[in-house]
Amino acid sequence: MIEVRNLQKSYGDFAVLRNVSFTVARGEKIVILGPSGSGKSTLIRCFNRIEPHDAGEITIDGERIDQKTELTRLRCMVGMVFQNYNLFPHLTVLENCALPPRVVKGAGREDAEELAMNFLHRVNIADQARKYPIQLSGGQQQRVAIARALCMQPSVMLFDEPTAALDPEAVSGVADIMASLSADGMTTLCVTHEMGFARRIADRIIFMDQGRILESAPPEVFFTQPRTERARDFLSQMIRY
Amino acid sequence: MHGTPLPPHAAHPATRRSRPADPSLKRLRARRLPWVALLWTCMVLGLAAAPVARAQQAPSFAAGGLTVCTNPTLPPMTFVNGTDGSDLAGVDIDVSRRLGAYWHVPVTFVSMDFVGLFPSLEAGRCGMVISGVVRQAAREVKFDAVPYQPTSLVVVARAGTAHVTSMADLSGKVLAVESGTSYAARIAQENVALAAAGRPAIEIQQYPTEDQVVQQVLIGRAFAFVSQDVELAFRQTQLNGKVSVIFQPDYPEYRNFAIYIRKDARDRAALEGAIAALRDGGQMTPILQRWRIMPGGGDMQAGDQKAVSGFNWRTFAAALVSPAFARGAAITLAMAVLSHMTAIGLAVPMAMVMNGRDGMLKSAIRAYVALFRAAPTLLQLLFVWNALPQFLPVFRESWFTPFLAAWISLSINEAAYQVEINRAALQAIDPGQALAGDALGMTRMQVYRHIIFPQALRIALPPTINEFISLIKTTSLASVISLQELLAVTQINVARTFEFTEYYAAALIYYLLIVFFFLWVQKRIERRFAWADRLKATSHAAA
Repeated sequence: MIEVRNLQKSYGDFAVLRNVSFTVARGEKIVILGPSGSGKSTLIRCFNRIEPHDAGEITIDGERIDQKTELTRLRCMVGMVFQNYNLFPHLTVLENCALPPRVVKGAGREDAEELAMNFLHRVNIADQARKYPIQLSGGQQQRVAIARALCMQPSVMLFDEPTAALDPEAVSGVADIMASLSADGMTTLCVTHEMGFARRIADRIIFMDQGRILESAPPEVFFTQPRTERARDFLSQMIRY
Repeated sequence: MHGTPLPPHAAHPATRRSRPADPSLKRLRARRLPWVALLWTCMVLGLAAAPVARAQQAPSFAAGGLTVCTNPTLPPMTFVNGTDGSDLAGVDIDVSRRLGAYWHVPVTFVSMDFVGLFPSLEAGRCGMVISGVVRQAAREVKFDAVPYQPTSLVVVARAGTAHVTSMADLSGKVLAVESGTSYAARIAQENVALAAAGRPAIEIQQYPTEDQVVQQVLIGRAFAFVSQDVELAFRQTQLNGKVSVIFQPDYPEYRNFAIYIRKDARDRAALEGAIAALRDGGQMTPILQRWRIMPGGGDMQAGDQKAVSGFNWRTFAAALVSPAFARGAAITLAMAVLSHMTAIGLAVPMAMVMNGRDGMLKSAIRAYVALFRAAPTLLQLLFVWNALPQFLPVFRESWFTPFLAAWISLSINEAAYQVEINRAALQAIDPGQALAGDALGMTRMQVYRHIIFPQALRIALPPTINEFISLIKTTSLASVISLQELLAVTQINVARTFEFTEYYAAALIYYLLIVFFFLWVQKRIERRFAWADRLKATSHAAA
């Protein structure tokens, strides 16, 4: 479904992505691990082109993602959840979810709100629909952010460290939702530092360092028999922490 | 161009000469044309008809109508009678009307701040200035002056003050004069002589209107003020003899009031002829008698004979409900609202550019903001009103009203400040907000409209209301370009009656009402920003 070939990107002289290539099958759940600055976030941001790549090729469902891609259509297809939730503070939970279908897809207010309520139920937060984001906890906000992305009914979901700003209890709530989404067959790419979470949902782990993919393996293989020295170091650091 | 034949007239020198390329030449010709036609007619009809025809012919500055610039704060020469700001009265007004009748042209008066009179004349906004201005060599460098009424300078102090015998006796004392007049420069010459003699200078204080000058003496801040004898005679009726002349210096340059026109020998001769004809025809005497400059005058309606001391509640209440004050307040309010809305309309797109990537446009906006924040607002108003018509004559036409000029100036000026407010507000929004909007497939405009603007409004609102309140008061500057806003109406009424406390208080009430209304509006709007505060958001949701 997603094909990445020789993807390159740099900020000035600094190469963030160096010849990254991999493929993702439909319904596959990929978790991208790696130390800070390894290019994980940049990589997934190239898929919905909020970071344009410099060279190489990305195709999603056979469609090339480049400067000619119609961004609105691409972003309806590829949803994204951010580390800091980025909910719209001036809108209620319900409005946060209903606004994008209304303005982007031209849905009517009632239809959009009904759709939004469905997804808010899906993430178990429908009872908070009339509140403003500031009144919610971090975990609740992140669940709203997931519902908001789902309201665009994407075929791919990108998660950019979705649990990094959450306390452990909230992490499990968000992780449950993501696991249930995965179970429904959503193609998912997730950048995270949560090893347990990675082990739980991933079909495949991609390990990155310094803009390169060093390993790509099923979690049971990656976590027990990492092939590279760098991955072994990384895992031992993580466990000790 | 090779091979293209020249048009036939281009080859003919006589034809070319008759087609002046310079538009100013054309204008010159057009202006002379009536005269040429007239001469020609005279020659045909015979010399006997000529003197009558020429005497009735309006000079070029009054062709098609006589527009008169005046600062109606100098009774009995030019002032406002009654509380309605449009009812001009005085010697100058009567003389202008007689001139219009003499030339068979309609007369229009434009009242404005004294400082604006000569720039307006130069810009062609009016044909002549008649505003109790004395004839002076310095002014005649740039304009032609035609005297119409003798006068003399007087130094006036509170009643009971000992007379002095020379200007030098005023050494070390405070003398109040109207700014924009030549009095200050004349006193400065006295100061040179005093300095040479090793004596302290006369301390000059300048005030924008004559009534404020008088006020300084009444309240005792100034020792004396400088005025003209005719004006003082009129003031005495208002002041019930509270002041008296202590010295009458004979300066040759203060012997005559004069009408000023743009330099033109023929126009000057025509105006001199007209004044002489009015005098010879016995038309000047009734005017002078009416305003009590000559004995035997009739009833003088101006100047309510009220006591100067104590607060006159009746005057205050009458001013509050008077149409003139209501209209002044309406003009002030309309000017502030329109200018600020225009400014915001201009500033938002500029702020969006400022919030984006560097480029030519961004540098241009930065230069605009720097320029218009640096230049005083008063200067910008005077520039738009008086300097612009010299470059672009279309701005001299009647559609370019003081209101329009003030609207344009204040909008452009205010936009420069508003750009900074809006830019800061946009910058304060977390970049993650736009990123989330992008990721949800919104276009740039949708992101601005639905996500950034509603949040930026909360940040921009308090400084914007602040700017607006400041703008309400800045509109008073537009009185220099003859906009009859609240403060201009106030000053005209103070000049008429000297009941300054009452009229100032009435103006203050209007300003307070306007400002408090908008503060209330601000509170109402801010209620909608409960989402930014957890406690308020909770109580909001519960309500």
